[in-house]
Amino acid sequence: MIIRVWGARGSLSAPGPETVGYGGNTSCVEVELADGTTIILDAGTGIRELGQRLVERDPDVLHVCLTHLHLDHVEGLGFFAPLWTPGWKLRFWGPPSATTALRDRVARYLSPPLFPMGLAEAPAESVFEDVPREPWRVGPAIIEAETVEHRGPTVGFRIEEEGRVFVYLPDHEPYLTAALDDEPEWISGWALAEGADLLLHDSQYTEEEYAQRIGWGHSSVDQAAAFARAAGVRQLGMFHHDPMRSDRELEELYDRVAEIVQEDQEPPIIAREGMEIMLGAGPRH
Amino acid sequence: MERKQPDLVLIVARSFATKLATPAIIIDARGDLIYFNDAAAELLGRPYLDIGELPASRWQELFQPRTLDEEPLLPEQTPGGVALRERRPVHDSFAFLGLDGLEREITVTAFPLFSHPDEIVGVMSIFWELPAPS
Repeated sequence: MIIRVWGARGSLSAPGPETVGYGGNTSCVEVELADGTTIILDAGTGIRELGQRLVERDPDVLHVCLTHLHLDHVEGLGFFAPLWTPGWKLRFWGPPSATTALRDRVARYLSPPLFPMGLAEAPAESVFEDVPREPWRVGPAIIEAETVEHRGPTVGFRIEEEGRVFVYLPDHEPYLTAALDDEPEWISGWALAEGADLLLHDSQYTEEEYAQRIGWGHSSVDQAAAFARAAGVRQLGMFHHDPMRSDRELEELYDRVAEIVQEDQEPPIIAREGMEIMLGAGPRH
Repeated sequence: MERKQPDLVLIVARSFATKLATPAIIIDARGDLIYFNDAAAELLGRPYLDIGELPASRWQELFQPRTLDEEPLLPEQTPGGVALRERRPVHDSFAFLGLDGLEREITVTAFPLFSHPDEIVGVMSIFWELPAPS
């Protein structure tokens, strides 16, 4: 599979000269499977440019997996070209709710007065479903979703294809409900991330910032590194960068994380807009 | 598919219990004891770390729960067991033998933990020791 990062910023888009290196668009990651199937993880502002690329092809089926419905993860949908182009089929998966269907929850944003158009006006064929409780197949991949610790209903995703595993946990505060030395099974998201080849994980805060924002739903970079270590992840990708974080500051945080990772792990990476990572064989179409 | 780790609702409930000064105990969907906090340990007679997780049959054997009229209680007849079986909150009192050898009477509020409207993952019980008769 090929993993392409279209937006790695958290909370709020942050364009400008200070963030141009790693990008200012909010969360959106494309996963292209071996048979050409496209899975899109989150619909932050990064999905706008992805959509422009997608509509250059013939209409197809897209699988859009939403970790949760905070604005920075859905605000790009209004400008996602396939949604507004007849012929495209969009299959949305999102966190379960005991009270409201996923379509209705997404439509809260895609409706006046927050957005001029309503979701019902979008010409693409869209299907909205809560994530299944069991793993499910999309093309040649198996996807697994699990609820994780964050504010409000939130899931993470594990995508496995040809024995390679990519895990996406952009908004996650595992150490709100666990201690660093807890048994792994009591750490939110552990089973989902276990043994992943690549984990893109919430790395929003410094330790000093986290101390002031406990319970806000995000991790410090030290916690992200500790989580990756507990889960036996091969490579950690720092993700969901704080909107206040400049490129230079991100690289300083990287140095800190690089010191924490263990010898049996690959050096960490900072997720960057435009980054492309291949896990296993690439697409064969 | 067998889960590799407890549901997030149980993880959060356990975290909540660790921070409570009120005695609290958690059983999973099978009725097995999976955690009790330090305040509960004071009444149960031994810390959780000394005991660990216990199957329902084992905790019944250890704590010998019974009604206030001295009738033996099966695990499914305790407030936690009823909350699990009938999927509703329960408030009741019963007696047990602490691992420190002391008999105690407690009043319990047990409530089911649902991860989905149709999926119960366990029960949390908070309890207090009844004052000794004067």
